[in-house]
Amino acid sequence: MSGPTPRDQSTPQQNQAMLDLDPALARQASGVHLSVQQAGLSFGGIRALQDVSFDVQRGEILALIGPNGAGKTSLLNCINGFYRLDHGRIGFEGLDITELPAHQIPIRGIARTFQSPALYSGLTTLENLMAARHIHMRSGMLDCLVYWGLAHREDIRHREAVEEIIDFLEIEAIRKAVVGTLPHGLRKRVELGRALAMEPRLLLLDEPMTGMNVEEKEDMARFILDVHELKGTSIMLIEHDMGLVMDIADRVVVLDFGVKIAEGAPDEIRDDPQVISAYLGEAHE
Amino acid sequence: MPTWVKRMSDTLPKLWLERVRRYRGSDKVAVRQKDFGIWQSFTWDEEYQQVRDFALGLSALGMQRGNRVAVVGDNDREYLWAALGIMAAGGTVVGLFTDVGPKEVAYVVSHSDATFVLAGDQEQVDKLLEVQPQLPLVKRVIYWDNRGMWHYQDQWLIEFGDVQGSWNPAEGDPDRLFEAMIEKGQAHEPAMFCYTSGTTGQPKGVALCHRNFIEVVKATGEVDPRHDTDNYLSFIPLAWIGGAALDIAPHAIDGAILNFAESPETVRENIREIGPDLVLYNSRLWETLVATIRARMLDSSWLNRRLYDLFLPIGYRVADLMLQRKPIPVLLHLAYWLGGRMVFKPLLSQIGLHRARDAYTAGSALSPDVLRFFSALGLPLRQIYGSTELTGGTLMHRRDALNYASVGEPIPGARASISPTGEILLSGPGLFLGYHKDPEETEACLYEDEQGVLWFRTGDAGHIDQQGQLIYLDRVKDMIELASGDRYSPQFIEGRLKFSPFISHALTVGDTSNDYVTAIVTVDFENVGRWAEKHGIPYTTLTDLSQKREVYELIRQDVEEVNRTLPASGRIHKFVLLHKEFDADEGEMTRTRKLRRRFLHDRYGMVIDLLYSDRQQLEIDDVVQYQDGREGRIRTTLHVESMVNEPAHP
Repeated sequence: MSGPTPRDQSTPQQNQAMLDLDPALARQASGVHLSVQQAGLSFGGIRALQDVSFDVQRGEILALIGPNGAGKTSLLNCINGFYRLDHGRIGFEGLDITELPAHQIPIRGIARTFQSPALYSGLTTLENLMAARHIHMRSGMLDCLVYWGLAHREDIRHREAVEEIIDFLEIEAIRKAVVGTLPHGLRKRVELGRALAMEPRLLLLDEPMTGMNVEEKEDMARFILDVHELKGTSIMLIEHDMGLVMDIADRVVVLDFGVKIAEGAPDEIRDDPQVISAYLGEAHE
Repeated sequence: MPTWVKRMSDTLPKLWLERVRRYRGSDKVAVRQKDFGIWQSFTWDEEYQQVRDFALGLSALGMQRGNRVAVVGDNDREYLWAALGIMAAGGTVVGLFTDVGPKEVAYVVSHSDATFVLAGDQEQVDKLLEVQPQLPLVKRVIYWDNRGMWHYQDQWLIEFGDVQGSWNPAEGDPDRLFEAMIEKGQAHEPAMFCYTSGTTGQPKGVALCHRNFIEVVKATGEVDPRHDTDNYLSFIPLAWIGGAALDIAPHAIDGAILNFAESPETVRENIREIGPDLVLYNSRLWETLVATIRARMLDSSWLNRRLYDLFLPIGYRVADLMLQRKPIPVLLHLAYWLGGRMVFKPLLSQIGLHRARDAYTAGSALSPDVLRFFSALGLPLRQIYGSTELTGGTLMHRRDALNYASVGEPIPGARASISPTGEILLSGPGLFLGYHKDPEETEACLYEDEQGVLWFRTGDAGHIDQQGQLIYLDRVKDMIELASGDRYSPQFIEGRLKFSPFISHALTVGDTSNDYVTAIVTVDFENVGRWAEKHGIPYTTLTDLSQKREVYELIRQDVEEVNRTLPASGRIHKFVLLHKEFDADEGEMTRTRKLRRRFLHDRYGMVIDLLYSDRQQLEIDDVVQYQDGREGRIRTTLHVESMVNEPAHP
């Protein structure tokens, strides 16, 4: 894929400097957890995002909704560094992360799941979750070769953390199952588990409930709420099931053709005429 | 009086305390539970402390002797400890199934006048919060899994551990206080209420006392000895009498080690890890297991499949000889031993039954195929029959008297008999105290004979054969009456006939206008066809095949087999092999392959007339409808086979 090329080649040090200049980014130290400002992104002639701005407050569940092709996933891809914005800024916990490479993002505390689960399908659930712990691992190659001592202790510690997630998501029964053999609904749960294994402070969920039956959706909604309640994780999720969005989200941001057309509490969004014509209206016809 | 009735003052907590004292200071395991992927063990000392703290805490919160405490939650160590704690404090455990709705929870909790409720997790707690206004008697709701409830503020709720911390250490030595509580218990006090879902109306609370449990467990132990090294996997709902009588009671009485699964979904995996010494599955699960094993064998390596094909027939031969109680030739024995080592044990270990000493089945009748299969693998399944009102199992098969048709014989101290109307009556030390707050229902289901023995009316129909084995037929209300006043069970006869691989369906006929039972049988074209080929019998169509003399002889053997399990009045006198199979497209069966009786009675009125006449055969000129809607014509002659004119069966 020929992604958009970064216009601004500034380094993290420069970003840090910019932070002092930008009062909007500085606000993040208080209530704002993630801030997207005038985000713009084009693929050739298609303008995927046009001057999109919004904040995710610390400890809230923000739903991003909109019709297909509205730019929701593109925006997530910009946040976690898969795409580079053409212009605009993304700040997280008072730090400009616009230019950070994708592998740096989880280390900063942002984890995500994908629309179609992107797991190591040849590995077991346990191994997938353990792999996600790598950002917290300290032992080097030599330690691992010897294993005894540091690496061994670290292995046990991480296994404990992973087992807690397995218990939390109630996936004990598939602990040793190869992920490729699991049904879709469970794979999505494993993927959430992998994101949790990174111990994020912000969780990006890209359609966590697609292709699930009603019961699986309810389970997933409960897990999302539990994560939010127990760990205080901020959550930004893309979801099409409006009923669920209205149930679990604190606030909703609506995108249409790359433009933010509304932002507010679920009830306000439901009654917004622009949203109804762009999105809800379609679904209810 | 039987030797095992030791002291009439025994209670479950007293016997449990004896176990605790016996194992004090040792690292003998009482309970295991898999948590975070690891089996965590708890010794008897640890269990003692948990139960003691819970019992003292519950009393401190206001539980009185004689109070009821309801429990709704999955099988867990906390469930066990709570149950023991409640009984130790002189209370009664009221079990509730986890899948009941808030309305039924409210009904049972208020009907039993429970003063406390244990609700395992958020799901159960939410049900109680929903019906809180209807439960003024309930002082506190206790939960042990706090997930999802981190922000619940309701003062009505309290965590398991907080209950254990509620007693006041200044009141004296906790061990002494706790053991004094246990000492006050009496054998006749109710230990548990098991609510049974009646077919009509509200569930009824079956009150069972300590003596019920103790004597039934001891009597069962006389048939199949138990050891304190036995491992059980506790997954049968503890609210059900099976769970209470097979898990909690043997743990307290015999010191059996209870293992709790990690989650309800991991039971199958956890069974493999534990390898329990004793299992009770319902018949449905056994059938599923056969299918699982057969499917796994198909996926297995070439060598494994060859070994399986080689040894399974040997297993079957040994199983058949054992069933007929005939000696097994030395060479066959040797081959069977080898097969056990190479194939059968590894196979059983796949489903966690390699260590199972006793394997029981309960519920509906199991097909002989399934029983024979497990016997061949060296795991003879034995039926348990009983009812909640008799503290669970009242009859069971003895190890040396396997029988595919019966549900076994009474355990020591218990008796079974048949009422004049054909109903099974049970009596024994497990006989319950009565339905809670329902003397009329209690009265209605009990019967006192001339010797003053109290019997429980099961509502089941059955009869007892010459060997003293009870044969279960059907629910009494589903029995059909003949002109003679005798009753028979269509479901039982048809079900048993269908166990034959050669019979696809059977319809029994006979009601108050007839003197005897007859049957219309349809043959399984594929299996009978293969059999005919093997025996050099030429045939063209199903119509042709079904009317062959030899096929009648073949089916006759199956009918004789079934007749042998029936009382004389309910046996099949005559049968006809139908020229076709029953067909859902013609409306003869539902899509789920249940017979449409009335339709069949109308459609085959001529055949039924034939069965109750002196004629031997009937010309048929029938129109059949094919799937594509076309119609075809069948002309043939149906024959009647009489079971009574021939030199009859024993």
